[in-house]
Amino acid sequence: MSVTIHLHKSQRHLADGKASVDVAGRTVNACLADLIQQYPDLESQLFENSRRLKKNVEIYLNLESAYPDELAKPVRDGDEIHITLILSGG
Amino acid sequence: MLTHREKERYDRQLRIPEVGKEGQGRLKQAKIIIAGAGGLGAPAAFYLAAAGVGHIRIVDDDRVDRSNLNRQLLHWEEDIGREKTESAKEKLGRLNPDVIIETVSSRIDEDTVAAMVDRCDGIIDALDNFSGRYVLNRSAVTLDIPFFHGAVQGFEGRATTIIPGQTACLECLPRGEQTHAANPIIGITPGMIGCIQASECIKYLLRQGRLLENRLVIFDGLEMTWKEFNIKPRPECSVCGKKNRKRHHGDNTR
Ligand SMILES: [Zn+2]
Repeated sequence: MSVTIHLHKSQRHLADGKASVDVAGRTVNACLADLIQQYPDLESQLFENSRRLKKNVEIYLNLESAYPDELAKPVRDGDEIHITLILSGG
Repeated sequence: MLTHREKERYDRQLRIPEVGKEGQGRLKQAKIIIAGAGGLGAPAAFYLAAAGVGHIRIVDDDRVDRSNLNRQLLHWEEDIGREKTESAKEKLGRLNPDVIIETVSSRIDEDTVAAMVDRCDGIIDALDNFSGRYVLNRSAVTLDIPFFHGAVQGFEGRATTIIPGQTACLECLPRGEQTHAANPIIGITPGMIGCIQASECIKYLLRQGRLLENRLVIFDGLEMTWKEFNIKPRPECSVCGKKNRKRHHGDNTR
């Protein structure tokens, strides 16, 4: 059982420079928990508190927006999660 | 009808089958709002004016600062302190005297937005803040105006095209939160994204090609990659939910 999480560029230095990390879990939440277990410094980049994603974080599951209820979305073996950040600059 | 000067000016694009005289006529008839005369607004405005979009209304309440000049190519050293709308109008008028450039030097908010977007054919979202974007997005969906979204930071940018009643809108995505720090940015990024927005607008006006409908593209200038993500209208979206439901059920009369 393996799911790949693609990190945003700004987060990679907190994961030994990796662009993606393989994790295990049956939901997006479980996968992110595994990611944080491997790289604890990522927690403050992703979560406002233990239950809520930070406001500027977007989750895509297999290239589809997972919003809303991102954390509850079920994942399967081979799925891909992309973490992106919402931008506002012009 | 195109004048002799216009036929000369647009000769190379008139030769494109997807443009031609008919398409050029559509561009000439169009009225487009560019919200923001900054990093995104500059390339969007230059390319729409050069392509012959007949009527361009530029909205910005800011004045030119030296720190704008690394990316906002409408404005030059000598323009520092000038209203951005004035500086933009002068440059675009010199580039193409055959298009009408109208300026509005005020802030986009709930009270001003309706008059600003009145009777236009499309809105280029070239703003630099979330609050203005959400106001503009709501107004676009309510008034059925296509909305060409772009946003940038650093070497990264994103764009999507919102067609009211058919696609996801900005509020179908998580709602971002403004930080107060100056946005780090280099000019090439809004250069790329502003051109994407102008391309989408031109394609929409020409009724050609495939728009970024329900597709969000993310540009990574460091890796030089484009990633495409699917977004979909949220049925419960407070801005577009009702309109998209109506379109999908019952409204088969069109
Ligand atoms: Zn929506």
